[in-house]
Amino acid sequence: MTAVMAPPRPRAQGATRYRQILWLLTSRDLKVRYSTSALGWVWSILDPLLMSGIYYFVFTYIFHRKVGETPYIVFLLSGLLAWQWFNGAISDSTKAFTSDAKLVRSTKIPRTIWVNRIVLSKGIEFLFSIPVLAFFAIFTGAHLHWQVVFVPLAIVMQYILITGLGLIIAPLVVFFQDLERATRLILRFLFYASPIIYGTKNLPGGFRFIASFNPLSGIFGLYRGAFFPDQISRVEVGVGGVVCLVVLAVGLFVFRVSERAVLKEI
Amino acid sequence: MITSTDSVIRVEDVGIRFRRNRKASRSFKDLFAGKGRRARFDEFWALRHVSFDVRQGEAIGVVGRNGQGKSTLLKLVAEVVLPDEGRVSVHEGVAPLIEITGGFVNDLTVRDNVYLTAGLHGMSRSEIADSFDEIIDFAEISDFVDTPYKHLSSGMKVRIAFSVIARLDEPIILVDEVLAVGDRSFKEKCYQRIEQMLEDGRTLFFVSHSEKELERFCTRGLYLDGGEMLFDGPIDQALARYNADYPPKRKA
Repeated sequence: MTAVMAPPRPRAQGATRYRQILWLLTSRDLKVRYSTSALGWVWSILDPLLMSGIYYFVFTYIFHRKVGETPYIVFLLSGLLAWQWFNGAISDSTKAFTSDAKLVRSTKIPRTIWVNRIVLSKGIEFLFSIPVLAFFAIFTGAHLHWQVVFVPLAIVMQYILITGLGLIIAPLVVFFQDLERATRLILRFLFYASPIIYGTKNLPGGFRFIASFNPLSGIFGLYRGAFFPDQISRVEVGVGGVVCLVVLAVGLFVFRVSERAVLKEI
Repeated sequence: MITSTDSVIRVEDVGIRFRRNRKASRSFKDLFAGKGRRARFDEFWALRHVSFDVRQGEAIGVVGRNGQGKSTLLKLVAEVVLPDEGRVSVHEGVAPLIEITGGFVNDLTVRDNVYLTAGLHGMSRSEIADSFDEIIDFAEISDFVDTPYKHLSSGMKVRIAFSVIARLDEPIILVDEVLAVGDRSFKEKCYQRIEQMLEDGRTLFFVSHSEKELERFCTRGLYLDGGEMLFDGPIDQALARYNADYPPKRKA
């Protein structure tokens, strides 16, 4: 050997490296989304805004709503914006590997990042959309209660839930193409099966019991507690919290078992 | 500090199998079957019982016909696929020249892409900033730094991709025939860069069909055929063995 190699540069390891890469990919996702369309941020809030407009009109002017709380637009948006995060992240996780197949094939990075970066970038979009809710809350004169301190808990629960589901869906879609369609269908069902246009308090007894096993019930209740403290149900939050952790555990298991086969397939 | 006698890559009795028919439907049972199970009827072993050690500074060429597991072996060393049997341990950082343009995003500028790809391979922002000009100069595209990647010509795309990975300064370099593209002068530049890295004591793992390239860079050859490693020794002997098994067509 003629020359002495320069000592290798220190490379971040473990959790630090995981965070670095996660952040790189997440900011790439956001950058691409916001740099390719002129409206950028507006797009991410246009959908929930339009939907809340429609529901507001239908349930206030046509059906004379008996569900939810007043101001209804604040009630709607506090559920819809969070739903948007759930919906966007779950449907994107069906493409977690395929959309970046080349990168997955050529870089050795912890594979859970491919799911995590979707959850994170959609989560950040969700945070960016909160000012819209604030605007309507001020506009309609809704009161902010001390229960707003539970919002971070709701965010953590939702993050765990989406990550768990993503870790299950992302690898399985690689083998079962049909799962992509099935996921879309289930998401549409879940939209009506979760307390978004109504609250769990509006459900008749038996259904209310079933709804408490939907972790979104507890999570959306916590978000809404900021304006409507009655919407928080300890049972739903408790059961939902357990379900979230179980889903994450199942997700990590499924992901670990299928990882080897996924890498061969893509 | 690793001395030159320690192995930097150790491959122990490695085997990996693939499905013969990619479109065949899969059952859940298949998916959750343990790695110890036997290969199913529609699967074949792309590689099996492959073992070798690579010491720091060695330049290894992988020889064999198409579909004999050369690229798979490279991917195993890069740890982008995982073996079904055996163990692959790589003790140093790896700069993989495999599907090098894969990490580049069409809608972002060249600058953003350089930061992204180099970052994914572990470089910090300040390191990238320090070597940014060098990367761009090497790729000869200083006029296009703020152009969206999709507007580059295919040659430029490969040049900037190579330039980023080559700048990683990792002790191990994996090369998988990526340099087949690009014009002759850039190709020569890449080869000089690889030679320079070899002189610095880096370890090279090289897959190629070109005897000339293999002889130029490599000292040791691995000959793969039918999913097995038939020979491990000096590159000229590996090539001789390969040519004996599959005689090159002579021009009349």
